[in-house]
Amino acid sequence: MLLEARNLHIGYGDAPAVWDVSLEVGGGEIVAVIGPNGAGKTTLINAIAGLLRCRRGELRFDGADMTRINAHAYCSHGIALVPEGRRLFAKMSVEENLELGCYLPSARSARAQSLERVYSLFPILRDKRRQPAAELSGGQQQMVAIGRALMAKPRIVLFDEPSLGLAPTVVDAMFEIIARVRADGAAVLLVEQNVLKALGIADRAYVLEQGRIVAEGLPGDLLQQPHIREAYLGV
Amino acid sequence: MPSATLLGQALISGVLAGGLYGLLAMGLSLSWGLLRLVNLSHFALAFLAAYIVYELGTSYHVEPWWSAAMVVPLMFAIGAGQHWLFDRFKVNELASLLITFSFAVILEVAIQLYWTADFRRYETEYATRSIKAGPFYIPVLELVLCIVAGLLAWGTWLWLRRTYVGKALRAAAEDPAIAAAYGVDHKKLAYLLSGIGAAYAGIAGTFIALIATLAPAQIWAYLGVVFAVVIIGRLGNPMGALLAGMLIGASESIAMAVLSPAWAPVVSFSVLIAILLWDPEWL
Ligand SMILES: Nc1ncnc2c1ncn2[C@@H]1O[C@H](COP(=O)(O)OP(=O)(O)O)[C@@H](O)[C@H]1O
Ligand SMILES: [Mg+2]
Repeated sequence: MLLEARNLHIGYGDAPAVWDVSLEVGGGEIVAVIGPNGAGKTTLINAIAGLLRCRRGELRFDGADMTRINAHAYCSHGIALVPEGRRLFAKMSVEENLELGCYLPSARSARAQSLERVYSLFPILRDKRRQPAAELSGGQQQMVAIGRALMAKPRIVLFDEPSLGLAPTVVDAMFEIIARVRADGAAVLLVEQNVLKALGIADRAYVLEQGRIVAEGLPGDLLQQPHIREAYLGV
Repeated sequence: MPSATLLGQALISGVLAGGLYGLLAMGLSLSWGLLRLVNLSHFALAFLAAYIVYELGTSYHVEPWWSAAMVVPLMFAIGAGQHWLFDRFKVNELASLLITFSFAVILEVAIQLYWTADFRRYETEYATRSIKAGPFYIPVLELVLCIVAGLLAWGTWLWLRRTYVGKALRAAAEDPAIAAAYGVDHKKLAYLLSGIGAAYAGIAGTFIALIATLAPAQIWAYLGVVFAVVIIGRLGNPMGALLAGMLIGASESIAMAVLSPAWAPVVSFSVLIAILLWDPEWL
């Protein structure tokens, strides 16, 4: 397994937010985590990206123990985050945001190629490359956030609600991009509230509710479960 | 109304004097803007550097540029050492004010113990030299100061814009967690930047030794005006700091010539308030 989380407990101060969560992502897989607002999806994905420390449990990436390393070393293992709300460096230009993605020397040497790849994926960003990221539309900002992650030459990309707040037509494009990322060789961990779309693209999925995994399996099987149909599809 | 020549001379002297404001503001602006640390001891460090340059020059006859070559790395080390404290005690913006204020007071006392409260003057042949341009006199030392400050501001600006380290510092100032997720070791860079800020105080101090009369209490003399300059020039912007310094220097000098010397201290804050009224987002 590329990513292995075992019995993770994560919280903020004294308040626990995620309990005893185990999750796996294999190389080249798209794995979705769905769940309602406040379930702990962002907490979980941020911990996997190194932004939060796990209280207990094991987090392994390609066999390496991630619980003991510094936050800034996660990226060098090949983990790249497309965070909730995009979190671009608003005052910096589009291209500078992308360049931050290839900050590490290993990715830096491929800067030109990686930029070319991102610009061919999102041609509009080439035109806007000198503009401050804050001036872009929501969809374009999401492109920058994804581009920044791709610049790191990741082995896994963590997407936290990439479709949030985007127009429906842009949402479809976003899911196509996620499929492209996998086709280009990276694994994907996808957190989404757009359950149908997420399950449509995923190889496997987990359902997270109130900080715990309540169901997991193949998307087709999950879609058959009455609880899932009721809670997420309203049928 | 004073004559045009007098006003012109006031403008030139003001811009040149403002170069020192800008030079002092640069280091402060970097650590405030990019690390969210307000270093009140910046001025004390500059004066410590000035006293060391004075001591080396008067007691050991070391040429000022050689003194600078010793004092600037020393200040870098002190700046990095200070950062160790900030880091160790997880100091935030407000606490940094208190801690560095105490540090400045301690330095003031230390300077007074060693060099006494007497005024000290480092007499050099450079201080009296000036170039005559038409009806105006341009003091050479201040001109050199402005050139050095200009090169430093420009170099620092390029460093922040063009290099990965500079971009990483700017990114981490906006969102340290996400910068770290892309491999930025902010802690390490913060040491570097704190050292650089203090090194700039060392450069400023070298010029202060050559230009000004030294007394321990003088460490507070620049505080108000340089703070205004830092904010007018925008936090984290070295070019802005220098230009704001020159703007304030020129305005003070003109105010002194046209109104009276008593008006000078009011100028910097009037400009600051005017800018904040015009654009409240400026800070
Ligand atoms: N920075 C924070 N500090 C304290 N509690 C937080 C913080 N972020 C999230 N939480 C809490 O953790 C829980 C999970 O939140 P989150 O991971 O954001 O859920 P989701 O992404 O699934 O909507 C919620 O109860 C939320 O209130
Ligand atoms: Mg969330």
